[in-house]
Amino acid sequence: MSDDPERFEVLVREHQAMVFSMACRYLRNRALAEEIAQEVFLQLYRKLPSLESEDHVVHWLRWVTAHRLIDHSRHEKRRPQSPLEDAPEPAAADSMSDADPLLSEMLRDLVASLPENARVVMILRYQEDLDPMDIARALDMPIATVKSHLQRSLALLRDKLSRQKGVGK
Amino acid sequence: MNLEDELRAALRREDPSPDFARRVAARAQSSTKPARGIPWMMWAAAIAALLVIGFSAAYEYQQIKAERASRDAVIALRIAADKLNIARERVVRRETPANTREN
Repeated sequence: MSDDPERFEVLVREHQAMVFSMACRYLRNRALAEEIAQEVFLQLYRKLPSLESEDHVVHWLRWVTAHRLIDHSRHEKRRPQSPLEDAPEPAAADSMSDADPLLSEMLRDLVASLPENARVVMILRYQEDLDPMDIARALDMPIATVKSHLQRSLALLRDKLSRQKGVGK
Repeated sequence: MNLEDELRAALRREDPSPDFARRVAARAQSSTKPARGIPWMMWAAAIAALLVIGFSAAYEYQQIKAERASRDAVIALRIAADKLNIARERVVRRETPANTREN
């Protein structure tokens, strides 16, 4: 693909929401998410001549963003890793209504407190709507591991939410 | 809504700040400009350095050759002077009469 600057800007506009949102959901920090998204796109600019198609670009962006995020949290240690069971109790939601902002906020916090690999798997599943096979391909991870991350994370989230509902009653 | 739908709603995509794409494109362009200029400048600098080294080596070689030639000329002159002295002494000895020498 061409590394023409105008074409590149169009490409950034097309994919900025995907890359930025993955970083934002993972890090829960907009400024840091923009910084990492910018690094990913600069890397894309250098890589563009060797990418063959639009699909290749999307796949490459998901792969690089996911690995940058995992590397970031492993090396920088800006966010202390804590298992979901130890995550602070978020504010109780009144009900599971349509796009309840409090519940959404609580879910984003809970997802952000998952371990690195499980967090990326959940983001690709529920933000990018990828099926487990595509997630396995995007992360170079066995499909059984992806399914196990999804099942375990969903069970933990359900447990956490039901405890919250109990507290809220 | 079940949990999975709630998660889709909570994790839906959102856009970065409005000038994000423009900033990234500007940074991409500025980061590649010096990279494109460097090889040309490096080639010019390398050729200039090679020319300077070549001329210096040639000049040095000429200097050494000139010094060696002048040293050889001095040695040749000394040898010639020694031989002339020997010849002069022999001539002086022959011209001087034997009785003068005995006295």
